Order: sequence, then structure tokens, then C-alpha cells
Amino acid sequence: MADTKLAFVVQRPPYKSENPKLAITHAIAYQTVEILLEEGETVTPTLCFIGDGVLACIKDQKAMDTYGITSTETHLKNALLVDLDVFVCKEDLERFGITEDKIVNADDMGADKRIQVVPYETIQAEMEAAKHVLFF
Amino acid sequence: MRLAVFVSDLRSTVDTLERLKAEKLGIVLVGNGVYHASLKENGKSSPLLDKPASFYVLSEDLETRGISASEVDSRVKVVNYGDVVDLIFNEYEKLAWL
Amino acid sequence: MGVLSIGVFSSLIGSMNLDFALKLADAALQKGHKVNLWLSGNATSLVKKDQKHLKDYSTGEKPLKALLEKGVEVCTCEACTLARGIQKTDAIEGVQWNAMHWYLAKIHESDRVLHIGGE
Repeated sequence: MADTKLAFVVQRPPYKSENPKLAITHAIAYQTVEILLEEGETVTPTLCFIGDGVLACIKDQKAMDTYGITSTETHLKNALLVDLDVFVCKEDLERFGITEDKIVNADDMGADKRIQVVPYETIQAEMEAAKHVLFF
Repeated sequence: MRLAVFVSDLRSTVDTLERLKAEKLGIVLVGNGVYHASLKENGKSSPLLDKPASFYVLSEDLETRGISASEVDSRVKVVNYGDVVDLIFNEYEKLAWL
Repeated sequence: MGVLSIGVFSSLIGSMNLDFALKLADAALQKGHKVNLWLSGNATSLVKKDQKHLKDYSTGEKPLKALLEKGVEVCTCEACTLARGIQKTDAIEGVQWNAMHWYLAKIHESDRVLHIGGE
């Protein structure tokens, strides 16, 4: 049984760039990758938001109302629903004055997981533990 | 970790590179990142080159922009695509494109 | 020899990242490595056939076909491609169409992964 651990690091703010959204949707695809792998093999991505990327984690996004597109918030909720580990950098949140109560959660959808606010060191450790790192 | 970071811009809107830590860090200058290898803004080399890392610059992207290998800072090694492949497989285990 | 997977999000025109990816893929092949190429986001524009080669613009069709002939596995994100109005009948032959899990599966078997996000 082999698991490939990946660190997806989102460093750009949402909407201007497609990167943050694609990072989340690519990570969610871990749920179905097993159909292409040998039995017992898995891929486990961790989503990490750093720098300006933490802005993607602000809740109450209304992209569907304003532009008719799925919000990054909705994608993040889906990520939590499929039990992905999602980390957001504590120092960067503090730099922007964003408090934890402003961060997306999927409690209303019954998710067990929540976005974890962690020091940058934790995200660095995730990158070191991963076989591959992908920056978005 | 042994990490090769591909820098593809002269100006970056993200500061990720400043924070990345690696036991062995390589910085591969490609695209508009190649200006870091030769440009002297106000007489000073790019501060990027002061980082504790090994530096490489892609010859094709230098030539595309009218920069000759002789203009490249002595801290930077000029490489071609084949060399980049060897760096990827032989020198570094993880790759990041910033 | 190793396996290199390259993922790209950047558009064919308006960015040189795809040009870089295609050249790197070819260089890796020449060194005897296996290469997988995943196209997502704006990079899916690369798969459109009948690109007119005007010298002011990058063209990806010819190098992409050459890579396919040499055994590179190329896959485009189906949703990203269809969202841009490119149908399978419009696409270069030999390019695979699949979902994002294709990329994750290729990453799983790869020795090295270069993910080229960016604009």
C-alpha cells in the first residue's frame, strides 16, 4: 500500500487568477483518483494557504450572486466535506487583520473538518513531508 | 528537502520565496526571471542573488531577451534545457514554480 | 530513467510558460525520461487543432504533435476545455481528455513534478 502525499500551496488571492480555485478542485480530485491507481494506492493532498492566498479563505463570498460562478468559499467547503486537511497561515491572517471567525467553515453542511489556522512553520513542515509540492 | 525553485518573473506579487526553507536550495531563473541574473538596478545586482542558494539561468531565455552569457553575474551558472532536466533529476527532489 | 509530470495552467498566447513546458518535456525525452503533460485552466487552449502559425504568436500544435509521437502522455482537463468552447472534435488527435484525477494519478507514479501555475 502506497500513499503519495502532496502539498498544494496557494499563494495568490482568488478570482483574478484561476489558481486558487484550481488548487482546491485538483485537491478534491483525490477522492476519485483511486479508479486510476492500483489497489491500495492513494494520493493525499493537503491544501495550504499562505501569503495573499489566505484571502481565498474569507467567508461570505457571493460570487454566485454577482458573477454566476461557484465561489472559492463553496469549493473550500467541498474540500472540508471530503475530509481534506486545509491549513491557513496564522501570520498572514494576522498581517491582514483577519480573525478566525471570518474564515470559511462547512459546519452548516455537516463537515467534520475545519480549516486549521497554523503557524507558517507547520506549512513548511507539510511541504517537507510531501513527496511533491505544487504552488498555485 | 532539496528544492529547486523556478523564478519566472522579475517582479513578483508573492513573497513565497523569502519564506521557503530547504537544506539544499536551487533557484532556476527562467522567462522574465532571467533579468535577475544580469540586471543592475541603480547599480546593484538583484537582491535575490544574495540568498544562500545555487543559481542557474536558462540560456535560451537570456538570448531571447538580448542578454549574453558574459553579462550574467558570476554567482549564476548558465544552463540549457538539457541541463535543467539533469538538475531536476539529479540535484533536487522537489520543484516549485513561482 | 525517471518520470516527470508537468502540469500547466498558463495560456498558449499571452504567456511563455507553455513554450517552456513543451521545450522542457522534449529535453527530458531526449535524456530518456518518461514525460506526462497535464493541461488545465487556460493551458487547455493548446489542444485546439488547426492553429494558424502567425509569427507574432506562440504556436503549440507542431511541438505538441511531436511530443505525442515520441510517447509523451498529454491530457487536457475536460471541464476546463469544454468551458472554453473547445470540443473533442476540435482537438489535436492523441490528446487524452479526463478529469483532474488523471493528473493526481500521474503525479503518484512520478519521480519529479513541475507544476506551472501562474497567470
